[in-house]
Amino acid sequence: MASTTLIEPVLPSEPELQSFARAAAQLLIDRQARAPGARTIARRAGVGIQHFDHRDYAPGDEVRHIDWRQTARLRRPIVRRFESESVSDWTVLVDASSSMAVHGAAKARAAARMAAAMAYALLHLGHRVEVLAFGGRVLAHCPRGRGQHHYAEIARLLVALQPAGSSERSELGVCARHVHGAASAFVVSDFLADDEMCRNLGALRQRCTALHAMQVSDGAETSLREAGEFDLVDVETGARMQAVTGDDANVFATRERAAMTTRLRSFCARSRVAFTDWDVSRPWQGTLLAHLVQARSHC
Amino acid sequence: MLSFSTPLWLLGLVLLPAIRWLHRGGPHRRELHVSRLALWRGSDASRPTAGERRPPDPAWRRRALLAALLLIALSGPQLPEQRVRVTLWIDDSLSMLTRETQATRLVEGLARVRSLLAELERADVEVRTLADPWLSLGALNDATVATLVVGAGRKEPAAPPAALLRRDSQQWLLTDGADATLFAWPGDRRPDRIVRVAGVTRNVGLERLSARRHPDDPETFDLLLKVTNGGTAEEDRTVVFTVGATEVARVGVVRLGPGASRRVEVTIPASAAVRATLQPGDALPDDDEIALDLATLRKRRVALDPSCPKALAAAVGAHPALTLVPSDAGAAEAMLDCGTGGAATGLPTIHVLVDRAASRPRGALQWSSEVAQARRSDLDTDRLRVAAHLQVRPTDSVLLAIGDEPTVVRRAGEARRLETSFDFTAIAATRGPELPLLVNWMFETVLDRSLLDAIAVVDRGPRSTLVAPLPIADAPAAVSAAKVLRSSSDEARLVLLVVLLALLWEVVALLRQGLRMSPPGRPEGEYRSAKHEGIPVSAPAAARTE
Repeated sequence: MASTTLIEPVLPSEPELQSFARAAAQLLIDRQARAPGARTIARRAGVGIQHFDHRDYAPGDEVRHIDWRQTARLRRPIVRRFESESVSDWTVLVDASSSMAVHGAAKARAAARMAAAMAYALLHLGHRVEVLAFGGRVLAHCPRGRGQHHYAEIARLLVALQPAGSSERSELGVCARHVHGAASAFVVSDFLADDEMCRNLGALRQRCTALHAMQVSDGAETSLREAGEFDLVDVETGARMQAVTGDDANVFATRERAAMTTRLRSFCARSRVAFTDWDVSRPWQGTLLAHLVQARSHC
Repeated sequence: MLSFSTPLWLLGLVLLPAIRWLHRGGPHRRELHVSRLALWRGSDASRPTAGERRPPDPAWRRRALLAALLLIALSGPQLPEQRVRVTLWIDDSLSMLTRETQATRLVEGLARVRSLLAELERADVEVRTLADPWLSLGALNDATVATLVVGAGRKEPAAPPAALLRRDSQQWLLTDGADATLFAWPGDRRPDRIVRVAGVTRNVGLERLSARRHPDDPETFDLLLKVTNGGTAEEDRTVVFTVGATEVARVGVVRLGPGASRRVEVTIPASAAVRATLQPGDALPDDDEIALDLATLRKRRVALDPSCPKALAAAVGAHPALTLVPSDAGAAEAMLDCGTGGAATGLPTIHVLVDRAASRPRGALQWSSEVAQARRSDLDTDRLRVAAHLQVRPTDSVLLAIGDEPTVVRRAGEARRLETSFDFTAIAATRGPELPLLVNWMFETVLDRSLLDAIAVVDRGPRSTLVAPLPIADAPAAVSAAKVLRSSSDEARLVLLVVLLALLWEVVALLRQGLRMSPPGRPEGEYRSAKHEGIPVSAPAAARTE
């Protein structure tokens, strides 16, 4: 019990997580419900143990999957199909690049909270969850697991996750090989990269059944307090730019950040990616619930 | 007082401000780390020169010190040192061999110099002679003294060259003061100290002896002897000429006033050497006797081929510098071959070719450019006859031709060999001077020496007999204070050591800077997996209760 204090400063408390899991259960469970004639498009046949439907035998099918009763009834070979287990797999991708570490790493802490809450809720409903922390490469990995005991491993990873102060780029594409089958992916990032990671999101979308993009924003990153002559240094690339900071510059940066969000939002809408822009000053519970509601309606 | 041997290097110190300027700091702006530089593209760009200037790199002091030390080392710093450098010039003329009360002037003078040098606490002495000033004999020790005594009087001394009169050393001169030219030093230089050793003032010496063959009698030599009184008193001497142990001539009392000279002429039989001696001797015995080698005046032996024409043999036999020997004699120095003498003797050979009847060639006389103008004879081509045709190879030299007809050819080869097509019998029949002229010219050419006007001479120079000291003002008798010698080697070495230490300091500083500036970087392959990390994080309550 005493060791739980290590998690509390970064991750939500257990009552918060339980409360959120109960609220999100309906949104996540409804996805799995299979009322007759109301099969969701997310379900698909594959390797699993849950019966899905029947179809005519085709050369190459497993002989042990032949349903002899149906075959005798219909007078032709019928095989039994199963629901793919991967629909219950989730991959949570957490951005640990250097851009998440600026301004006191508020974005990094918020991303860790969001990822922990999402993983807790999914594990609570029996899904298998895998967590990846990425920068220029995969920085940390918690393999796919099921059950509440798996949350302890995920929490350990998220607590220990400390983005590098500089030179760690955002390359979402490095996680693509870890997302396979029919898993769903939940990306928590500031998406501050070339083309707002749209290309990597598109590639990731091709590999999973559902993709969620949670953009973490911090108002401090577009409103510098210091005014005057400065060398602005990009924490990820190290590139420098001489600039005069001040109110005008802050306004322009805010406008530029909004434009980037708009471009990313448009891309996600076109690509059927559930997207939410989250300012870390807002509570994570409401933001995540709103995101799931939005995702359910769109996907 | 510190001084520098090459102070021009110190001008490089004016570059030190340049080193400071090169290390100046540029405009410095504060840095702000932003999550994405693209967000700030639209902000105003600041001026390139904006910002506060950083202080200069502190390394400039170290590097400036390094440069300054190098320049100082190159300029050759010299610290005062109580060390005297002395260049001792030795008058090694013949008069320095004059015997004084105990020993010769040279020996006594060197002993006096050594005693004087012993008074100086630290002195570097370099000994040079006036006869051979460019040869340094090193320090003054017993071996140097022996070398000086043996070599004295062999060459005429002269004043030392200016290039060897270094300003940083004292110039001492050991002399007897008999030769005024030895004090005529270049420019305004004067000896710092003169050690004079001269007591004897009387001397008569043999200055010059020469000999030549008597023009009428080749078997005798004419001698010419010059006797000079180099002392301060009138002297009487008798001159005796000896060949070996045999006295061959004697000239009675020769009276000479101070500084006067007299020539003595005698004729002696031809011999290999002759010696002239003055009687009675005096304090300088080395100039009372003079020997002359007469080998250059002896007759050259020519091996004669018996088949040679008699007129040719007679012409060779009549030559005052040639004598005929049989062709089989082993001591011949040249060979006259007329067809049967053989050509493999290795001796300088004149080969006379005869393969046709004598005829008079047509055309003018043509001398080769290899024949010096003084050696060309005035020959009458009407009295010249040829009896052969010479084949000239590309490597041969045609020394004499008449028209297009080569008459004397020098064949290429190790031994000198002349071939001629002259018919000497027919030339002798014309009774002109061409035959002896041709014979003399051909033998001078084949022997490569002058045969008719050879002179043997020994000349000691006009000042060789002077022994009386001249009234020349002496340099300061005592060295008032040791001239300061500045030695730069030790100081420069010390400065260079400091420079090396500074270089080492610089290298270490650069290495440390390189280590500091190397990017820390995350180790490759760092890949955390919560399952493999032993972080003591317990599961949340929900997990634990499950």
